[in-house]
Amino acid sequence: MNAPPTFESFLLFEGEKKIQIEKDTKVPNAAIFTINKEDHTLGNMICTQLRKDPQVLFTGYKNPHPLEHKIVLRIQTTSDYIPQDALTNAITDLISEVSLMEERFREAVRERQEGDI
Amino acid sequence: MERIKEIRTRVELKEHGLENVHSTDFPGSYDGYDDTWSQEKFEKNFKVEIGRLTADELEFDMIGIDAAIANAFRRILLAEVPTMAIEKVHIYNNTSIIQDEVLAHRLGLIPIKADPRMFEYKQDAEAEPTDTDTIQFELKVKCTRNTHVKDATDPDDLYKNHKVMTSHMKWIPIGNQAQIFKEGEIRPVIDDILIAKLRPGQELDLKLFCVKGIGQDHAKFSPVATASYRLLPEITLLKPVTGKLAHKLKNCFTPGVIEIDNVNGESKARVAHPRKDTCSREVFRHDDLKDLVKLTRVRDHFIFSVESTGILPPEVLVSQAIQVLIAKVREVKRELDVYK
Repeated sequence: MNAPPTFESFLLFEGEKKIQIEKDTKVPNAAIFTINKEDHTLGNMICTQLRKDPQVLFTGYKNPHPLEHKIVLRIQTTSDYIPQDALTNAITDLISEVSLMEERFREAVRERQEGDI
Repeated sequence: MERIKEIRTRVELKEHGLENVHSTDFPGSYDGYDDTWSQEKFEKNFKVEIGRLTADELEFDMIGIDAAIANAFRRILLAEVPTMAIEKVHIYNNTSIIQDEVLAHRLGLIPIKADPRMFEYKQDAEAEPTDTDTIQFELKVKCTRNTHVKDATDPDDLYKNHKVMTSHMKWIPIGNQAQIFKEGEIRPVIDDILIAKLRPGQELDLKLFCVKGIGQDHAKFSPVATASYRLLPEITLLKPVTGKLAHKLKNCFTPGVIEIDNVNGESKARVAHPRKDTCSREVFRHDDLKDLVKLTRVRDHFIFSVESTGILPPEVLVSQAIQVLIAKVREVKRELDVYK
């Protein structure tokens, strides 16, 4: 049959890299990150987080084709900063953000369930 | 200044459309605001409030996050939290009128109560099923005529086993699954889902194989019936609304949103429960009312509603979704550190 392989959308192919970094040759301090096996879930989140960084001048992402499971993220920063650091910082911030959400959610559920007893 | 604050924090509902839909609280957008991300600010503003929690439904509020994160949760709940579902059907005999492929598809959509955390993904679809990656069911039903009944017209009286239900599915433990799981831990979530109808002489003899998967691959693996969010509605009365107009205003909204108070013998409208509003904007169709109210929604107040299919409780689904999100972000971070 013509069904695509089950794991195609979320498991990396043999030898495939999760992230590829490509320098933008036309603009200083800009880079294009290709993140494989990710979609709008993470793309939009990372992009919004990067916008919260005052040293990031531009950030945008796209999913080039719905059947290609990857996103392309472009970041341009000020001259005293590099795109890779911007991305690392954004992701570190996201991790702490989501960890806090997990903690608060668990607390809220526990309070509710104990309240019911 | 007031106006800027409003643009930053509220989505406006106008007669012919919405305004200020996008988040604009980024550095550089506004003079005099510091929108740089900081953990302290986030910790101060972020709140979770559980609204309603039942066995298969959960409504909770997440306050102080961006739409991007709320949407990530919704997307993960729909498509990336794993469950078990029937993936392969061996058809030994099917003399019913429902075709093999249609029957197999129907079976695939049945929610199977089994904790997906106890299983592994089946890496190779062609490999032999093992006790760590597959659940096996048997469906063996034969319809016969009920000889004791005379002059009946109801098929329920005339035939035996003419309705094939999910309760006919029998779990066949593989390997040492019988020791790991108790009887009744692995079964279809609902016992009275109609799978097929038979007539005397027709029979089904099937073996069903469930594997672990995610909604991205096929919707049958989705653990939720619905997972959605909406913004908290907010209704502001610009001028006091009294008398007949107050009653008219009340009728423009969902019951309970606007209440009428009696002040010195005159009825006066009061916004009681804006949360209940469906944001229908009916009020803007009335010329005498449309300049009296302002409809907005709070941009960072998300009301999530998660309805589970019954496989896992909804609060477990949400914490699973958070786990999946953390795992995704961590993976990207790990890969990024390689380039350092």
